Amino acid sequence: MKRIMTRSILVFVVTLAVFAGVCLLAFRLVTQNEQWVAQPYNGHVASSNGLAQAGDVLDRDDVVLAYTNDSEQRIYHDDYSTRCALMHVVGDNSLNISTAVQSMYRGDLTGYSLVWGLGLPKSLRTNNSIELTVDADACKAAYEAFGGKDGACVVYNYKTGEILVDVSAPTYDPQNPPEITEENEKEYDGVYLDNAVSSSYTPGSIFKTVTAVAAIEHIPDIYSRTFECTGAYDIDGEIITCEDAHGTIDFTTAFSHSCNVAFAQMAVEVGDENMTKIATQMGFNVTFEVSGITLSKSVYNLENALGDNQLGWSGIGQFEDLANPMHMAMMCGAIANNGTPVTPFLLGSDSSFLQKVGLTKAKESKQMLSEDTAKKVQDLMRSTADYYYNARGLTMGGLNFCAKTGTAEVGEDKEPNAWIIGYTEDEEHPYAFAVVVEEGGYGISGAAPIAQAAISSLVNNP
Amino acid sequence: MGFQAFLDIAVVALRFMLPLYAVVIIYQCYASMRRHRRPEKPLVTLELKDSGHQIPVLFWENSIGRSKGSDICVNDPAVSRDHCVLLRRQEGWMVSDIGSKGGTYVNGRKARSRTQVLIDDEITVGTTTFVLKRGDEFQDRIRPSWFFSKASNKGSLQPYKLMLLITFFHLFMTVEACFTNEVQDFAPFTVFVLLELLLWAFFFTSTFAFKRINFELEALASFLTGIGVILLVRQEMRSAYVQLIAAAIGIVLFCIVVKFIENPDRVNSWRMTIMIGAVALLAINLIFGTVQYGAANWIRIGSISVQPSEFVKVAYIFVGAAALDKLQTKRNFLEFIVFSAVCVGALALMGDFGTALIFFATFLIIAFMRSGDFKTVLLALVSVVFAGTIVLKFKPYVADRFAAWGHVWEHAQDTAYQQARVLTYTASGGLCGVGVGNGYLKYIGASESDLVFGLVAEEMGVIVAFAIVIAIVTLSFYARAITTRSRSTFYSISACCAAGLMVIQTALNVFGATDILPLTGVTLPFVSAGGSSIIACWGLLAFIKAADERTYAAKRLKKHK
Repeated sequence: MKRIMTRSILVFVVTLAVFAGVCLLAFRLVTQNEQWVAQPYNGHVASSNGLAQAGDVLDRDDVVLAYTNDSEQRIYHDDYSTRCALMHVVGDNSLNISTAVQSMYRGDLTGYSLVWGLGLPKSLRTNNSIELTVDADACKAAYEAFGGKDGACVVYNYKTGEILVDVSAPTYDPQNPPEITEENEKEYDGVYLDNAVSSSYTPGSIFKTVTAVAAIEHIPDIYSRTFECTGAYDIDGEIITCEDAHGTIDFTTAFSHSCNVAFAQMAVEVGDENMTKIATQMGFNVTFEVSGITLSKSVYNLENALGDNQLGWSGIGQFEDLANPMHMAMMCGAIANNGTPVTPFLLGSDSSFLQKVGLTKAKESKQMLSEDTAKKVQDLMRSTADYYYNARGLTMGGLNFCAKTGTAEVGEDKEPNAWIIGYTEDEEHPYAFAVVVEEGGYGISGAAPIAQAAISSLVNNP
Repeated sequence: MGFQAFLDIAVVALRFMLPLYAVVIIYQCYASMRRHRRPEKPLVTLELKDSGHQIPVLFWENSIGRSKGSDICVNDPAVSRDHCVLLRRQEGWMVSDIGSKGGTYVNGRKARSRTQVLIDDEITVGTTTFVLKRGDEFQDRIRPSWFFSKASNKGSLQPYKLMLLITFFHLFMTVEACFTNEVQDFAPFTVFVLLELLLWAFFFTSTFAFKRINFELEALASFLTGIGVILLVRQEMRSAYVQLIAAAIGIVLFCIVVKFIENPDRVNSWRMTIMIGAVALLAINLIFGTVQYGAANWIRIGSISVQPSEFVKVAYIFVGAAALDKLQTKRNFLEFIVFSAVCVGALALMGDFGTALIFFATFLIIAFMRSGDFKTVLLALVSVVFAGTIVLKFKPYVADRFAAWGHVWEHAQDTAYQQARVLTYTASGGLCGVGVGNGYLKYIGASESDLVFGLVAEEMGVIVAFAIVIAIVTLSFYARAITTRSRSTFYSISACCAAGLMVIQTALNVFGATDILPLTGVTLPFVSAGGSSIIACWGLLAFIKAADERTYAAKRLKKHK
C-alpha cells in the first residue's frame, strides 16, 4: 500500500500541472480581457443596441460627435459633412471600421470591466465618455476640400502629439449607413478603412525628403555638387524622366524643383544598403502604433530591384515604395522637432480608463534623423515653400511653413496620386501634416488645398 | 428609483451572491472530505516472536518483504524482496504468498493460496516469525497525513445541510433562468423540482437504505450535475430532460458499481468478462458508428444516440486495477496492456483522438501505479508522440486544430471559431456572469458540451467556472489522500486513476476551449451536456467512493456501538 501511495504522486503531478494551467488561464484573462471582449461578433456589444448604453464621443472642444439619446438611439453630430468627415475616427453603429473609437473602445464606452462584465442591467451600468484630440471644424473643412475625391488628410501637433485632423475618403454618413450592394460596391471600395492609418500609397516626390537625408549623410560634398538635367537620364540603359529640363542645378534647387534626374543619381550613389538603412531609420518598414491602432507600414524594399535603374526610381518614391499618411506626418514632425518625433495620439486625457492604459500620453519616439541633418532638411523644405508654393498662392493660415509635394505615378491609366507633406513653423500652431489624394493629379493643385483648408480652419477657429 | 431599478438591483445581488455561494459549497464538500476518517490506529499488530518488538499493521493489504518499499520490511536475507501479502477481508485476516523463494508458513504449515490467520497465530517468513496481535496493543501514536489533520467521525457540515445548501444554489440558478432578458416564464421550475427530487431521493437512499454516513463526494457531483442541467434549460428544454434522465441512470450506475466492487476478489473473477464486453462495445461502435463532429464515436438506436467509448472508460478502470497479491502477476498486467492497446487503437480508428488521449493518459497513470517503473512510462510517452505526429500527417482536421492553437485571433472566423468565442464570452461575463440564459455563447455549436466552460463563465461568471475546475481537482487530492485507507489496492489504484482521468478530461476540455491546448472536443465531467458522458462520470465516481473504507463498513460500525 505504501508503494501505491508513493506512485500516486503521478496523479498529484498531473493535478499540479492542471492547476498551473488554470493559473495561466487566469493570468491571460486578467491581462487580455479587453482584447477578448472587443470582438466584432460579441453579441453583448455588437447587437443592435450594443451602443444603447455607450457614453459620448467628444472632440477637443467638447463638441459632441456621438451620443445616445433617451430612446437608446445613437445620434451623431448634426452636420452632415462633419459626420462624414469624422466617420472613420468615431465609427458608426457597426463594428465595421475596426480602427474607430466606437469599435476599439466600445467596451470602455459601454462600461466594461472584468469585475462587472457586460451583463449589468441597463439601469445600473456606468458608461464612460471619450474625448478625442480631433477638431471637428478642421476635419469638416478638410473633408469638404476633398471635393468627392478619395484619400486621407492628417494634421497633428508635433509638439504635443495631438491628432487634430484625421479624415479619410471615401466615407459615408454614420447616421444613415448605406446598404452596400453589388451595384454600388465600387463607389464604396475601401470605405471601411481609415486611409490615414490603414492604407499606404506610392509616395512619389515626397520621398525625396528621405533621399535628401541619405544624400546629406552619405555624400560628403553634396552641397557643392551640381547636377545636369536635360529632362531625361539614362541609368543602366533605361530612362528616368523629369517634368522639365532643369539644366544645371545644385542640391537645394534640385529639391525645390523636385528634379527626378538629380535624386535618382543621388540614390544610386548612396547605394541600396545605405538607402534602406536611412529609410528604415526614418520609419519605413517599421510598425507604429497610434492610440492602440497599428499603422499600415510604409515600405522601402529593394529586394526585387534589378539594378541601379530601379534603385534610382526608388529614390524618387516610385518602384515599390509605399507611404502611410500618418507616418508621413510623423516624419515631418521629426524634421520639425530636430530629428525626434512625438508619437501622435487620438484620445484626449479625460478618459481615466484610457489614461490608465497609457494611451493618452504623448510619447517620444525613436530618433529618425540627427539634429544637424534635420536642420538641413528644414532649410530644404522651407526654401521649397518660399520659392515655389508661396509663389503659387499657397498659404497655411498665414503661418510660415515648410513642405514638399509629390505626384506619384500609379500606372493602370490612372491619374497620379497627389501628395503634400510638411509642417508649420509657429509656436502657437505647430502642425505637421500629410495629405494624399487618389488620382488627384499634381501635388500642388490636388493635395495642397486640402492641407490649406484644414490648417486655416485650425488657425482661424482656435 | 422605480420598480425596475429595484428589480435590477435584486437580480445583480443574486448574481453576485451565487459565485460566493458556489465557493462555500465546494469548500464545505472539501472540508467534509478531510474530516471523515477514523483516528489513526493500527488494525492489528505483528509481534516478533524472538524480540517481542511490535510492528503496527496500518493497511488492509500489506506487502511483507525485504525490499525497502514493503509495508512491513523484514531485514532477513532468507526473505524474498516481495515475499507475501497480509490482507484483511470480510472473513478475517489472510496471508497470501506471492512467489517467494522460501515460502510462507502459518503455524508451521506452508500457505499455498490465501490462508486465514487468527489472533495469536504465527506467520513465518524466512527465519523470521511473527505473532498476530490485536491492534489496540500497540502503544505509540501515529502521525496523520496533512489531508486528514482534523480527522473525526463527522463531516464539517452534516450531509443534509450540505444538500440543503446545494438545493438552494440550484434554486437561485433556476430563479435567474426564469427571468432572462429574452424570456420570462416558470418553465425552468419543472426541471428544478425533478432535479431535486432525484438528488434527495439519492440522498435518502444512501443514508437510510445503505446507511452510509458520508455523502460529500455524491454531494459535490450532485452540485455539478445540477449546474449542468439548469444551464441547459434556456438552451434546449429537451436536452435538459435528457440530461436529467441520464443523471438518474448515472446515479443508479454509481450505486450498482459501488455494490459490485464491494468484494475486490469477486471483481477479479469478472475481469475477463468485462474486458470482452468492452471490446465488443467498441467493435459494435466501429461497425455501426455514425459520424458526428468529425469522429465516428456514436451509435444510434432509434432516436437515442450513445457514445460507447464513455462506458468503456468505466470498464477500463475495472480492468486496470487489482488487489495487491494479484498486482504483481505478469499475466494480469499483460492482459491490461493488450486491452489498453485495443481501446486506444479503436478510438483512433473512430477518429476520436480526444478520448484516445484520455485513455492513453489514464493508461500511463495505471501502468505507473502498478509497476512503479518510470522508464516504461517514458517509453510509452515517446511512442505516443510518434503516433501523434503520424495522426497529424493523415488527419488534416486535427492538424488544423494544431495550426489554430495559439493563433486564435487570426483564425477567429475559421479554424479557431469556437475558441475565439469562448474567450470573448468568458471575458464578457466578468466575475459574476451575465445571468443564466442571458449568454450568447449558447448559440454556438457544442457550447453545452465541448465549450461548456465558456458557457458557465459567461452566464455565471469566471469565479464559478474556476470553482468547478477546482472542485474536480479536489477529487484527485481526495483520491490520493485515501490511498492507504482503502480496503484493497484495487480501490486505491482505481480511485486515483478515476480521479486522474477526470482531471485530465477537465484539462482537455477547459484548456482546449480557451486555447491553452489545442481543441480536442471532450466533455467537462458532470457539467457538460451528454447522456453517455454524465453516466460514465457517475460510474467513475463510484471508484473513488469505494476507496473510502467506510463505504462498506457502515452497518458493522453501527452494531459495534
